[in-house]
This record gives sequence, structure tokens and C-alpha cells, in this order.
Amino acid sequence: MTVSTDQHKEGNKEVTFRVFRFNPQVDSKSYFDDYTIPVERGVTVLRSLNYIKEHIDGSVSFRAFCQAGICGSCGMRVNGLSQLACTTQVWDVLAKSREPGVIKVEPLRNLPLIKDLIVDMDPLVGKMVHYSNWVDSTMPEAQMGKKEFLISEEEFLRYDKATDCILCASCVSECSILRANKEYVSPAVLLKSYRMSVDSRDSMHEQRLAELVKDHGVWDCTHCYRCQESCVKSIPIMDAIHGLREDAIESRGKNDTSGSKHAEAFMTDIEKKGKLIEATLPIRTNGVVWTLQNLLPMAMKMIMKRRTPPPPPLVKSVKGIKIFRAMFREMTEHVKQDHKSHNK
Amino acid sequence: MKRYAYYLSCINESMTKEVDRSIELWQKDLGIELVKLHEGTCCGGSNLEYVSPKHFALVNGRNIALAEKMGLDLIVSCNTCLMTIRTAKKKLDETPELKREVNEILKKEGLEYRGTSEVRHLLWVLVDDVGLDTIREKVKVPLNNYRIAPFYGCHILRPSTVLGHDDPRDPTSLDQLIEALGGQTIPYTHKNRCCGFHTLLVAEQESLNVAAEALQEAIESKADFIVTPCPLCHTSLDGYQAKALKNAGIENSIPVFHISEMIGLALGYSAKQLGIKRHIVC
Repeated sequence: MTVSTDQHKEGNKEVTFRVFRFNPQVDSKSYFDDYTIPVERGVTVLRSLNYIKEHIDGSVSFRAFCQAGICGSCGMRVNGLSQLACTTQVWDVLAKSREPGVIKVEPLRNLPLIKDLIVDMDPLVGKMVHYSNWVDSTMPEAQMGKKEFLISEEEFLRYDKATDCILCASCVSECSILRANKEYVSPAVLLKSYRMSVDSRDSMHEQRLAELVKDHGVWDCTHCYRCQESCVKSIPIMDAIHGLREDAIESRGKNDTSGSKHAEAFMTDIEKKGKLIEATLPIRTNGVVWTLQNLLPMAMKMIMKRRTPPPPPLVKSVKGIKIFRAMFREMTEHVKQDHKSHNK
Repeated sequence: MKRYAYYLSCINESMTKEVDRSIELWQKDLGIELVKLHEGTCCGGSNLEYVSPKHFALVNGRNIALAEKMGLDLIVSCNTCLMTIRTAKKKLDETPELKREVNEILKKEGLEYRGTSEVRHLLWVLVDDVGLDTIREKVKVPLNNYRIAPFYGCHILRPSTVLGHDDPRDPTSLDQLIEALGGQTIPYTHKNRCCGFHTLLVAEQESLNVAAEALQEAIESKADFIVTPCPLCHTSLDGYQAKALKNAGIENSIPVFHISEMIGLALGYSAKQLGIKRHIVC
């Protein structure tokens, strides 16, 4: 499937697009089709796909609309990386292609496949609904339209970046935990939850948080930063996930879930010894029964290899712990003061 | 002999003692001296940041200030400690009022965070300062019979706004080190993926699935072993390997080495000296 062109013209190349194909109505398994087309410098992956569809094979299916990085429709994997086809320059991709002159185009991961490069966004929408990702106003309905709902600049800045999300699902496609379990909340949903939860106009903060701390929620994120790295709008998604966790500990207490207990252990141990007391971390996170049921066989192997972390009494404090502890506690006083002035 | 301050990671003081033991063996062979920072504290392991952002800034501002007092860069051999301390450094450098608040407290110990010391991974020091040519010259037992899967782990690559050494989409520094030691790197799509370590106690099944995928690709690619610059990745891929593979229905195993051990082997030290027998999978 080749369209002839003048070769080796400056600013013009022959590029092969290796496109993932699957039509569930006729195909028993997926395959790739190669389309070699002339591409000028400055042309995007989406324009190339449009060219293929118009001139070579009208059956190639993909989703696209604005062609300007605004609508988020054309998320797909280009040479393995989830991104928008409309803002991805062919020549930039070619510069890093493993196979010279070839660009592989595949559908996003972690969402059900509909056809070729089109995935089903319904599971993502369903999760947005499940975690109540909208603002339910604190203003009584009778006052709506009569009174201004003012937001301070400081507050707006807390969720400004999060509102840049265009729901392209690149982060969803790259998420390590979602890859392991499709029930996981997913980064885009956490980002949106954060955006709603820090909005003072919102009345569902507690209800949303109660759902987020359950299994497959905010504590299941493994901090791999793949979501943030792939974000087409450069949104610091991990800051939002950290923000939700901070909020969960503050609103629901440090003993709320295994995730909060695990996180809090770092704070406790650093103050106590200046280092993490690893031997008791599983018990403090999940209790004795879970630890015995889940970690005993491995613990036995580790004992045999003298690999077990020392029991708490044998964990030596870092050098100069007394002065460190005094400084740590001084900062605790600062934080208390911050909370007091914030509450005022 | 170039000197550096060396950050003691909690896990290297407990479960993965072989990392620091190996480095001690060969550091002078490669013309570097890592001065242990015994006063340094736990960085908060990517958790303290949200439990208490201000304690996070204090603790890591102090860790860096200790190195600054010695006039040395701070070298880290755990990916998560690296990412965590560099994140704190970025926050302190970009937020003058936070830096002032932290320094007001650090005065008590005669310390000041100035932002003058770099926080770098051991792998970066080896590739950039020691240099691949020097490493090549020092090799006594080239690893040329081995097919090696390079597993970078997350926090030496991402977020790139904090790390910035390798391209997170296509990292090369570990590959270069392996090749300088005479080893053969295999194409390994999991090289920049996750090991699942950070949720092993919170979302165990998901973490095991993540680890199993990385192990499976290395096994199917017929790698002789995996090598990683991170002791947390090592713990997930070695310590939890049997459980992860059993969970995924895979009856096989693969050894996982730290970079410090791989270097030690190539420089002629024995597996016993390097503590390799302490691994769960040998």
C-alpha cells in the first residue's frame, strides 16, 4: 500500500505508518497494516492518518475532531507512547523511531477496544460518575442566580492546572495499576476528584472522599509517575493524587485505611529514629493476621538469607537524633500554627 | 580521588545491605570516594511529601545541607530516595519563604540549606564523572557471556521535571554501563516501567501483577539476569519474585542484581564478597 512520490526532497520523506487493525465483526485477531505515504515536515500523525483514510484505505478507523489539541478525541499510542495524534509531529517521532522510517500507531491501553484505533471511553465516564466528579453546589437553590459565588485567586490556583484536563485518556492508557486491575479508579478520575474536592463551592467533599479511600481508590496508586509524564497538557497529576491523600488523612484521620496507616508510619518513624522501622511496617499497615497470612513464607526465606530488617529495638537512631527530633517537633508547631491561622 | 557525600537509604541499612557492601569494595578502584552521611535521615520515601509537606522540606533540606556543609554533592543509590530528595530541593529552590522557614529551624544544628550541592544517582556519577572509558579500562572479568535486562525503575526517570538525566521514554545510561562492563543488553520494553514496590502492602495483587509482567518479559527474552539501579525495585523483583510469578502462573525464575554487584563482578570481586548469596533468587 504505497503512494509514489519524489524521494529525498528536502523537507519531504516517505514514511511507513504501521497501523493496528481489528474489526470485531470480521477479524478473529488483530494485525498491522503498513501504509507508506509522502510526509512533509510539519505534518502531524493525525493529518497522516487522514491522508491514509482519504487516499489509500477508507476502512482505517480512528476518532478525531478539533485537530488542535483541544478536544482530546485523538488519543492513541504512537511508537508505544500514549499521546494526541493531532499535536504529534511525524518528524519528531521519526527521529526516535527504532525502525527507521516506520511509525507504529496503536489504540490506547487499559480501555476496551471498539475498532482499530478507537477505544471505548464508557468505563472512564462510569468512574467519573461513580466518584461523583461534579460540583454539587453548597449554595441553596433559592439563592442561585441572585448572589455571586466568589472564588479567591489563591483558591483558583489550587485547581487551575487540573481544569486543563481534556479527558484524552493518555494517562489512563499509561497507568501501571490500571494495567494490573481495570477496577482501579485511574489517574484522570483522581485528577478530576481533586479538582472538585478543593473547590469551596462543592458540598460533596466528604461523600466523594469516602468513596475514594475504598479499595481500587486513591491509596492504590503506586507513584510511578507514568500518568504525569504522558499528560498532553503537562498537568502535575501526582500533585493532585498527593493532594487527595493529604486531604484523606486530614479529614478521616491517619488510621482510616491501610494506605493512610502506611503513609503515616514514615512520619512517626522519622520523628522517633530518623529512619524507617521496616520490620513492623506490614503489621502497622495491615495488622498481624494479614501479615502472617501474606508474608510468612517470604519472611522465612528472608530469615534464611539474613535479609530481614532488624526488629525495632535493634534499629539504631541516626547520629544526632536528639537535635534532629527537636527540629522536627519545632516544625510540627509551625504546622499547627498554619492550621490555626488557616481555620480562622 | 573524587569525593561525594553518600546518602544512607533505609533499605540499604536493613534488607539490601549488599548494595553498600559492594560499593565499598570497588569505589576506590573507580577513583571515587563516597563519604557516608551518618547524620542523614529517612527521606520520607515518596510518602512524607503529602503527609506533611513542611516536614518533608525540613528533613530533606537538612539531608542536602549536611552534604553542603562538607562541600560535596549528595549521591543516592535508591531511586525513590533520589526522586524524593530532588523533589524537596526543587520545592526549596523555587519557594524562598519555605527555604527561609526551613533554614530558621536548621540554624539550631548549625546548618543552612543553600542549594549548592547537587543530588545525583550513583548511576549518573558512574556514567558522567567516572566515565565509561575508565570503567571499560578497569574491567577484569567482562560480562560478555551474559544477556542482561536493564530495569531502570520509575524514580530515576520520572517525573522528568525533577530527574531529567535520561529520556524517560528511552533511557540509556544503564544500558551504557552494562555495555561498558562487557555485557549484552537485551531489548526490554519493561526497562522504564514500574516494579510495583510502593503498593506491595496496600494493593498487593496489583503490585504482584506489575512485578510479574516485568519478570515475565525478561524470562521470555532469555535474559540471564535483570539489573536495576534501585534497591526497592530489587526487593520487588527478587524478594517478591516467587509470589509474583506463582500468582501469574509462571514456573520459572530469574536472578536480579544491583548495579553495584554487577560492577563488582566485572571488576573481579566474588559473588560471596558482593553478598549476592543474600538474594532470594540466586
